[in-house]
Amino acid sequence: MSLNIVNVEKRYLNRASGTTINALNGVSIKVEVGQTLGIVGESGCGKSTLARAVVGLEVPSAGSITWDGKVIDNKAKDRLKSHHSQVQLVFQDPYSSLNPRQQIENSIAEAIEVHGLVAKDKITDRVTELLVMVGLDPDLRNRYPHQLSGGQRQRVCIARALSAEPKLLVLDEPVSALDVSVRAEVMNLLIDLRKNLGLTYIFISHDLAMIRYISDVIAVMYLGKIVEFGTWEEIIENPVHPYTKALIAAMPDHSIIGDPTMLARTLEGEVPDPVNLPSGCSFHSRCALAVPSCSIIAPTLREISNGHLVACSEV
Amino acid sequence: MSNPLLSVSGLGISTVQDPRTLVNSVSFEIMPGEAVGVVGESGSGKTLTALSILGLLPRGVAIAGGSIIFNGTDLTKADPETMRNLRGSDISMVYQDPMTALNPVMKLGRQLLEVIESHEKLDDGSVARVEAALREVGIPQVERAMESYPHEFSGGMRQRVMIAMALLLSPKLLIADEPTTALDVTIQQQILALVSEQRRKRDMSMLWITHDLGVVANLVDRLIVMYAGNIVEAGTVQEIFTNPQHPYTHGLLSSLPSRTDKSRKRLTSIPGVPQKPWLVGNTCGFAPRCFKVTAECTASAPKLVGSLEKSVACFHPMGDK
Repeated sequence: MSLNIVNVEKRYLNRASGTTINALNGVSIKVEVGQTLGIVGESGCGKSTLARAVVGLEVPSAGSITWDGKVIDNKAKDRLKSHHSQVQLVFQDPYSSLNPRQQIENSIAEAIEVHGLVAKDKITDRVTELLVMVGLDPDLRNRYPHQLSGGQRQRVCIARALSAEPKLLVLDEPVSALDVSVRAEVMNLLIDLRKNLGLTYIFISHDLAMIRYISDVIAVMYLGKIVEFGTWEEIIENPVHPYTKALIAAMPDHSIIGDPTMLARTLEGEVPDPVNLPSGCSFHSRCALAVPSCSIIAPTLREISNGHLVACSEV
Repeated sequence: MSNPLLSVSGLGISTVQDPRTLVNSVSFEIMPGEAVGVVGESGSGKTLTALSILGLLPRGVAIAGGSIIFNGTDLTKADPETMRNLRGSDISMVYQDPMTALNPVMKLGRQLLEVIESHEKLDDGSVARVEAALREVGIPQVERAMESYPHEFSGGMRQRVMIAMALLLSPKLLIADEPTTALDVTIQQQILALVSEQRRKRDMSMLWITHDLGVVANLVDRLIVMYAGNIVEAGTVQEIFTNPQHPYTHGLLSSLPSRTDKSRKRLTSIPGVPQKPWLVGNTCGFAPRCFKVTAECTASAPKLVGSLEKSVACFHPMGDK
């Protein structure tokens, strides 16, 4: 069983201005069962669009996504439902992704009912089991989201995702909205659940430190494309693409303190507008290694060592 | 040794009706040219402390005690006229979200000119001054930028405009409230480099508020750690990062994933959630989550003791390594 993303493109038409936003520009990646894929990149790189496409919330403009050999097709309601019993999404903001007028027990029970996984009279027991699984006191079941802390709310969202008994969990910035002191607990919970339930994760974040901590393999995205891919050790210890190197340089490093020159080690300029993609390599406008041909020829991913892929002609 | 530029002493902030303590007896100093970071989670009181310096506390929240001496004047007793004169010229502030801090329907050039106009008379040189300020923070095509509206800029560029605006009248103290939180990491790094360069060039004091320890590691000279309305630890960046004394600071630093640990060992987590400041009373606010807690910790509140280089409010500090 695996998730296979092949040449996925996603374009949004802005009707008002008649322009096209190029969110995904040909992404191919394969995730094996039991693996955790980390996707890192800055806002606008397409990481959340990809997450939504994997769970069937977006239809790719081109390319295909298959799970367990079946193409994800959100036009066929039944097939999408069976897909959702296997693939679930946890969003960044646990407050806006829970119904504020629904007790958390009902939020979780709804998903169980939709998928008809448990007999009606057993649903209460199943909710208790799920709450315990994510480290919440089952007595909190009658609370409303506003009565819970951010960390507790995110645990409810994880419990709700798990209620469908999925095989693949897509986690879109799951700890970014949480207080620093509770992030570690949620990260530890995710790692325990992965082990105990044999889950496969796609972990999306702009925070390379968290990606480094949880991933088996890492994909670095820039303007709707994967620019580098490899095992976590390869990407962190031996980054090759100039963009990956810049991201790693911008990672907070607590071993270097009081050195203002550390701040100067960064990229110049900003991410180009996804409406007008640069010609050639989309990173060439900010790249220190760029040569004239970079603005003409778009590099494709090539293998530089076992399982380590990079899209750059100058490395 | 020179006198401090800002001296906050025993500052308390609470709600006006049904008084609830939000900040409890906070004391710290900022020397001329010094950069101080305030680290804390949401609800720790870090933003309220900063806003009280500018006299900009939200409605329903007021200073309940203590003093804020800036350059010899007690700001807690200053009249509105004095505060208006200080704000934007001697003390200025950069906010987290430039989109809400800038006027969306006014051209940027006009907004910056207003800053000058509110403190001195505009003259022939004013436009050139504004243009120079924008150029200094790295805004390209300044003449065009003057005629643009905030929405025409990216988040990073808007934050640069905010910084230009804050630096326009050469303040002695710049207060920054998480100005890079909403930005991407590479843009965040650019803004930090810009602010760091400007502060050194101008020998300006700075108060930088953040929830992210990584942001301030290479930006400020000293750090203040706040928890549930109290300062729990303060000291030089070097001391706080390498030798944290308060169990909260220690826990916070060890809960961050390391970038060198190959074994990726389990993250050390702090159980529980932050305490509400008004429920702390005469106890240590961190006691409910602390692994070193004893009866002493809930019987009275520990005081912040030590030197400017290193002080901690804890009955059972971690001890030197």
